[in-house]
Amino acid sequence: MRVEHLSLTNFRNYARLELSLPQQPLVLHGANAQGKTSLLEALYYLAAARSPYTRQDRQLIHWRTEDDPLPYARLSAEFHNRRGRHQILEMALVLENGARFKKIIRLNHAEKRVMDVVGVLSVVLFLPQDLTLVEGSPSDRRAWMDATLSQVDAAYLEALDGLEKALPQRNALLRRIAERKAKPSELSYWDEQVAQFGAILIAQRQKFLRELEYLAQQQHHALSGARETLTLRYQPSFSPSATQEGQRAFEVFGLDLHRQLEPQDIAPQYLARLQEERDESILRGVTLSGPHRDELRLLINGRDCGLYGSRGQARTTVLALKLAELAWMERALGETPLLLLDEVIAELDAQRRAYLLGQLDGRAQTLLTTTELDIFEPSFLARAQVLHIREGQIVGA
Amino acid sequence: MSKAIPEPVTRLIDALSALPGIGPKTASRLTYFLLRAPDKLSQNLSEALRDLKARTRLCSVCYNITVDDPCPICADERRDKRTIAVVEEPLDALALERTGVFQGVYHVLHGAISPVQGIGPDDLKIRELVQRAQGDVLEVIIATNPGMEGDATAMYIHRELQRKGLKLTRLARGLPTGGDLEYVDSVTLLRALQGRNLMG
Repeated sequence: MRVEHLSLTNFRNYARLELSLPQQPLVLHGANAQGKTSLLEALYYLAAARSPYTRQDRQLIHWRTEDDPLPYARLSAEFHNRRGRHQILEMALVLENGARFKKIIRLNHAEKRVMDVVGVLSVVLFLPQDLTLVEGSPSDRRAWMDATLSQVDAAYLEALDGLEKALPQRNALLRRIAERKAKPSELSYWDEQVAQFGAILIAQRQKFLRELEYLAQQQHHALSGARETLTLRYQPSFSPSATQEGQRAFEVFGLDLHRQLEPQDIAPQYLARLQEERDESILRGVTLSGPHRDELRLLINGRDCGLYGSRGQARTTVLALKLAELAWMERALGETPLLLLDEVIAELDAQRRAYLLGQLDGRAQTLLTTTELDIFEPSFLARAQVLHIREGQIVGA
Repeated sequence: MSKAIPEPVTRLIDALSALPGIGPKTASRLTYFLLRAPDKLSQNLSEALRDLKARTRLCSVCYNITVDDPCPICADERRDKRTIAVVEEPLDALALERTGVFQGVYHVLHGAISPVQGIGPDDLKIRELVQRAQGDVLEVIIATNPGMEGDATAMYIHRELQRKGLKLTRLARGLPTGGDLEYVDSVTLLRALQGRNLMG
């Protein structure tokens, strides 16, 4: 996938930007807080219809529009899709009723919903804080799985959206039951919703992780000189296949990724589990098991990398996962996503840096941000285009 | 609000801002418009506001908003009392009425089940519906909105009424008229496929 043109209006610190993107790697150079990251954020926003940094769309709109009667921001990208068709993807944030921001999405000028534009434009974003993939909490890894799958699979995004609506309702009802304001029999509808959406998430995560593990192992082998083996262990908080006694064993070994389960097999079992733990759920006021509590563990030679790994091993693992993510999306979508590297190069040692840059050449359209140009090999800079950014403007090549 | 603005003005601005869809700017604009407009306009408005609550009540049969009890629809002898359409809001009944085809009567729930907002079945007119759905009643059409809350409400009503031996139906969901199959999203298309009709 090649994005040829990016256009921004009132997005972050860009009052107005028209930028033609080159085929070769694009290095965005500038001091901090000048707008390098905002450019990557804009491309991510167009792909995922949300920011990787904030859930509040208000923050995305240029501060100078604050006094405007109708503040808005507009992003658009022009590119050719895998069939060679010219596409214009446009997203606008418009203030509605002076209170909420409405997101308007247009593909080739026709208005669309978020679900309709899944996979139209795809990106892999790599940030220094992605080290939390290894060292962070289970929720960091769930968020990563959700973000990756949602860019590719509209059914996944829909189920995620459904679960994010149904779970708070179910939890609120659990608390109302505890306060004797509602009857346990009212739970059945929400149980079914949670089970139905949850089953889709569990099945798709399992499939994703099986495919990803293979790709990540290849990258990891190459990076570690084949001395180490990375394995992914998916531990759904609820195991669709385990019996009561089997549950303990499963908690240690995780779900067998190679026995693919389908949502229609998982849903009835998950529903039964929700009903089994109903009393305890009412007592604690939360839904105890489900995709919102899943864990993904990353093992190196059988040992948990997050707990026992060195900093270096963690960096290698994250790099392998990110490159595997790119390869997975490439296979799933039939075209290579854009690769956005935010200050990542500076964090890598010379060997990993060379490996990463070597992997990219000519394959993915790549945008990199940096505060210092001399971290790049002169031969890389000779191939790349460099733009200098200051105060939301491109000040020269 | 600045001290330069007299108290009656800020009072109206504040009152208007409390309305849905009206922000402080629109509220000020409306207030200053009324200040300059002929007295008759604000008199009409204040009378209309007073009458709104004073002269309306809920119909004791269907719980729609009405002046006379029972409401004109429930009192109409030509309406088929054996068919009840259950809707969330009075405006939904109005929408069904605009089709000009529905000859039955309504039952207005005044909301939908939403535990997050603290709305349970007891906060809606569901118990009243269960009491009403007996005797001559043959069919209850559940016409709640096609979202999660509307579905939860429909499921609850279904469970409460299923042993009464009535026909329980739900509004079909599917393709919009004038739509193009190619552009319909997969959920809508799936529902339309599941709810397909036998021809002829």
